[in-house]
Amino acid sequence: MTLDKNTIINDSLLFSIIIIISILGLTILYSATNENIDIVIRQGTRLIFCFFLMILVSSIDINRIRFISPYIYAFSIFLLVVTLFWGHDSKGATRWVMIFGFSLQVSEILKIILPMTLAWFLSLSEDKDFDIKKLIASFIIIFLPIAFVIKQPDLGTSLIILLCGIISIFLAGIKRSHIAYLFGLFLVIAPLMWKFLLLPYQKKRILTLIDPSSDPLGSGYHIIQSKIAVGSGGFFGKGFLNGTQSQLEFLPERGTDFIFAVFAEEFGFIGVMILFLLYLLIIIRFIHITQKAKSYFSKILAGSITCIFVLLIITNVSMAVGLLPVVGVTLPLLSLGGSSLLSIFFAFGIMFSINRRA
Amino acid sequence: MRKSFLEFSRINTEKLFQNRFNILIVLLIILSSLLIARLYFLQVVSFNHFDTLSKTNRIKFISTPPRRGIIYDRNNTVLADNASLYSIEINIEKKRDLQKIIDAIKKEIGLSKEEIENFYEKKYKYSHYNSIVLKSNLNEEEVAKILSIRYKYDGLDVTASLLRKYPYKEITHHVLGHVGYIDKKDLASLDKKKYRNMQYIGKTGVEKFYENELYGNPGYKHVEINARGRQIRDLDIGYAEPGEDIHLTIDIELQKFMFDALSKYSGSSIALNPNTGEILGMVSLPSIDPNDRLWKYGFEQEELKKLKSPLFNRSINGLYSPGSTIKPLVALSSIQNKIINPEEEIFAGPYFQLPNSPRRFRDWKPEGHGMVDLNRAIVQSCDVYFYKLADRLGIEKLSNFFEQFSFGKKTGIDMPYESKGVLPSNEWKQKNIGYKWTDGDTVITGIGQGFFLATPLQLAHATSILANKGVISIPKLNKKSVPKKSKDILNREEFFKKNITDMDWDIITNAMFDVVNKENGTAYWSIRDRKNNIAGKTGTVQVYSLSQETDERDEENIPEHLKDHSLYVAFAPKEDPKIVIATVIENVGSGSKFAAPISNRIINFYLDNKLEKY
Repeated sequence: MTLDKNTIINDSLLFSIIIIISILGLTILYSATNENIDIVIRQGTRLIFCFFLMILVSSIDINRIRFISPYIYAFSIFLLVVTLFWGHDSKGATRWVMIFGFSLQVSEILKIILPMTLAWFLSLSEDKDFDIKKLIASFIIIFLPIAFVIKQPDLGTSLIILLCGIISIFLAGIKRSHIAYLFGLFLVIAPLMWKFLLLPYQKKRILTLIDPSSDPLGSGYHIIQSKIAVGSGGFFGKGFLNGTQSQLEFLPERGTDFIFAVFAEEFGFIGVMILFLLYLLIIIRFIHITQKAKSYFSKILAGSITCIFVLLIITNVSMAVGLLPVVGVTLPLLSLGGSSLLSIFFAFGIMFSINRRA
Repeated sequence: MRKSFLEFSRINTEKLFQNRFNILIVLLIILSSLLIARLYFLQVVSFNHFDTLSKTNRIKFISTPPRRGIIYDRNNTVLADNASLYSIEINIEKKRDLQKIIDAIKKEIGLSKEEIENFYEKKYKYSHYNSIVLKSNLNEEEVAKILSIRYKYDGLDVTASLLRKYPYKEITHHVLGHVGYIDKKDLASLDKKKYRNMQYIGKTGVEKFYENELYGNPGYKHVEINARGRQIRDLDIGYAEPGEDIHLTIDIELQKFMFDALSKYSGSSIALNPNTGEILGMVSLPSIDPNDRLWKYGFEQEELKKLKSPLFNRSINGLYSPGSTIKPLVALSSIQNKIINPEEEIFAGPYFQLPNSPRRFRDWKPEGHGMVDLNRAIVQSCDVYFYKLADRLGIEKLSNFFEQFSFGKKTGIDMPYESKGVLPSNEWKQKNIGYKWTDGDTVITGIGQGFFLATPLQLAHATSILANKGVISIPKLNKKSVPKKSKDILNREEFFKKNITDMDWDIITNAMFDVVNKENGTAYWSIRDRKNNIAGKTGTVQVYSLSQETDERDEENIPEHLKDHSLYVAFAPKEDPKIVIATVIENVGSGSKFAAPISNRIINFYLDNKLEKY
């Protein structure tokens, strides 16, 4: 395993686009935090750390990554237990845990660890049929961490993690008849979940999506303000640091959940299209890597990462334009926060590693 | 055969994967296209609509304060109420020429130098606020004048806010506490969402303890503001939920009577109903009228100093040696531990000495009491008798017994910041003083001196346990609250039931009755009207330590702050107690001369004038 440039950063286009979007992220964060340079520097430090992590991960052979996957899964379950008992609170939920002086949101990194574990598990018996035993075992792997995340309570993230898991088993070839059964089961369980599992504030969020004026003080307000920010950006945007919605603090959670609204207000439709184009280039490279992947494990994992990456972007932007409830999904590479960066760059590292073996 | 099957399977899996991957990619492309269409709709098609919204009609939310709950006494007399208060507020969010605005206001209605200095001080202190009050309590003419110049100065506003009023002023201050500005310390612990844009919060007393109930829930206004930040119109209003009214157990007439009776002194008096734990009256002096000061400049340190700490609530925070008021409990403990026969007469000379020690523990009566039994020892408050009991009991038994009466523990009253006092024990001394407990320490604990410290509320509470023959009622101020007896309390009630007979209780309460009603009792001369059958015990606590060699002290020339504290605890009527009282008066002299007559008058006032009302 030499640290040769060719073997590690084996896709210079992908690498450069990651750097470009990261810098773009710091720039928009500067505006979103009302020009708070301290926060930007802190986020920049996290980015540099994550870059090194990415290079480290990409230098590891993909078969070795496959081998350690179950251990990483076990460790993340351990961290979820720690979060449950010793985690610290923010806004009524216990989602963070301190390790080595860093505050880590374990549910964020599950978005990558779960597909990894599923790909490992399913590759153990890749030549066998995707039978009911395999299916049940897969669902145990999926729901064990989700149970902890629901307890935090963080329903939005739980649903996203569930989707990540479903994408993986879908790609791994779950039988069509099983899909039909699961869908039927979902139709039965969903109304029960609404009745017994959802907390009042969660129901409220979903209802306000249908009718924002039903809760103008809470999440309805967020949606209204975010839509005004995006809409008033127009075709060319109001210009960097000139977004009134964000600068006058009408927009809530500007650095994290609604960073896209800040971007759309200041850089307009044209800016958004350029951002999407940059994301598209990443996705095209991802698809390319997935096609070329040799082993079953790499194929499933690369395919899952590709789809999850797109899914996160779509979810976050849909929140900002009022198409989805406010579920607290970050925008990859742009949102403030260390845990989501960590999982994204970990995924990048894996993609580079898969590419090397292709 | 097997190999070919594997290959087939692999090709098959690969095909399936490709198929599935394509499905997902197509799905995601469709979703992305929808999203782009949505963005196009928002940013290009509806641009004008959202542009107008963002430029002219900015929507902001303003919290509206809820009406704070009113506090009543037990007969529905208002003790704390709300009124409107007009103030001049200046917005400090943006950089402005504040001096220009202030000068203009000064020209219209006049401002004192103090008011202006205060504004700048507050601006610094409360920099996290949007606006700062420049002048409060405006009259109507002043309001009109300011409104007429408001349009000229951006950031100047007249606001109406709720003002808390305490009609009984200093009489109720220590019970009710007061509300005040939310400071940075409050901010750390409160629900910021609930207190957004609010200025006041309960700081002490009932106002603090029942803050959640009294506060209610704020409403909101959904208002449009223009680019300069001024409100244009209300869009949507969510009405505030008013706070709950609270009915206290206090009887304001009794409270007033108690306050007047103690008005010349520093100290505290507490009257409670032993059956229910309801506090009937609770005063702490000196006190201060909270009304004006709170809203203008807050309390001034110099004024407070001059008034001998009027903000200090002696009822629950003042720590005093219980003195001779503890003797009935020492006697009861001796009976329970069977170290004395109550009938037995013991010789009590002028002093008590421990073996092998030259130190003389003197009696308050220089010539001694001669032969005394338990009853006489309590009635005449014979120190030497109790020195002997304490010495025989030892500190561990004494300390354990006092603990059963809540000494060294919070009584659990519904007030914030209650003090625990000090329950004397070897452990406590080792930990806090660093020395081992000595036999001499035990001896003086027998007459309630030394390390033993209690609050007036603890004295009243312990007396109510005595009057109730071991049933513990937790003191309370809110009529509606039903304090739950903790396991500790239930255990203690069990202890009394098991270890102390009705006869034992009667020996003690009869002796306390004789203190007030027998001619040689220390409180005999403190009352004229004896029909209410009061049982009590006086206490005189030395602040100034007497030299052990010379007995005489020069009563006339003791400086005031070294004079004795005067204490008295009592309950009445003896057969079926309806009221318990504990009174501490600082630096005046003996218990029988000051605290006893005042307390007995309070008891008679209550039983003669008030009781039939409930």
